[in-house]
Amino acid sequence: MGNAKDFADVIRKHQGLIYKVTSIYTNNEQDREDLFQEIVYQLWKYFDTFRNEAKISTWMYRVAMNTAITHLKKSKRSPSSVPLPEYLLSASDTKDEVFEERLKSLYLHIKQLNTLEKGLMLLLLEGKSYKEIASITGLNPSNVGTRISRIKQKLKQNMTNS
Amino acid sequence: MELEELRATWSEMSQELEKQKKLTNEIILKMTQDRYRKKFSKLRNLETVGAMICYLWVVFFLFNFGKLDTWYLQICGVLTIGFLIILPTLVLKSLKKIQNLDILNGSYKKNLVIYIKEKNRLLKLQQMGIYLSYLLLFILVPVSTKIISNKNIFLTSFKPLQVIALVVALIFMFFFTRWGYKSYKKITNSAEDILRDLDS
Repeated sequence: MGNAKDFADVIRKHQGLIYKVTSIYTNNEQDREDLFQEIVYQLWKYFDTFRNEAKISTWMYRVAMNTAITHLKKSKRSPSSVPLPEYLLSASDTKDEVFEERLKSLYLHIKQLNTLEKGLMLLLLEGKSYKEIASITGLNPSNVGTRISRIKQKLKQNMTNS
Repeated sequence: MELEELRATWSEMSQELEKQKKLTNEIILKMTQDRYRKKFSKLRNLETVGAMICYLWVVFFLFNFGKLDTWYLQICGVLTIGFLIILPTLVLKSLKKIQNLDILNGSYKKNLVIYIKEKNRLLKLQQMGIYLSYLLLFILVPVSTKIISNKNIFLTSFKPLQVIALVVALIFMFFFTRWGYKSYKKITNSAEDILRDLDS
């Protein structure tokens, strides 16, 4: 690995993954674009260090989430409102209003979680196993299990209240 | 909304995203290169403003060079002009080289080595600039005093207020140059961490 074409191919193939990470960690389009570019840049920086021992998507999640968390610390902006990401609005153009409402509700629930919980929730929604989540986040699998149970409880509570 | 519903919505959204992948290889590579350049644009803008100020001073000194009527003031004038032209130009050239590095051509590691070399050159230049700026202060004062007030300070004794002003300027310069050098190091240091990662 290591040349520009390989890199661009990987990013093109997995751009949805980056979009999803940026959408849960930012609140407006400008921030989202900025974070997207930063993640792509960081992925390029570390592209040579990627060894085929791990799945490329696992490695990409790790870099993307670390970059997003660092970006969040730097910008020091706390989430205030929960607008729906623009590209997701266009994605939902082809769908009905019900889907749009469900999407808004989904983001509303995610944005109520803290930084680490957001990441865990994203990976959970992506259908990752506890072992995979542990490998991406650096937590141990039992810790992942405990934290996810707490997130589920928190969500349940939020859903009951809303 | 239940967790299963959240999962279903997420999955539906993921499918939509898969359908509308907008980025091409060209956009991705351009984005990466632009991001790299952007990291240095703030520094380069600051340095450009600094260089412009230096060049304006050069123009001012050149127009008034005739007022320097002794050989030692003329030497001070030439040194001042030389310093104000050479150092900012070298720094700008070095920054341009770093910023225009084609990071996508060749392996990242190879580019990083070129980058580190250039970075060290830039830091050495900055270090040299710090020491030379103290010297500049001592040659700039007599030249400016002669041009602005037509006074040869080598032949007049210093007033207490002038001594205080010089000391204050030296203290200010000490902290300002230290801050400037630290800022440079902070911006460029992350690359060395990556190099260490690559070697490990």
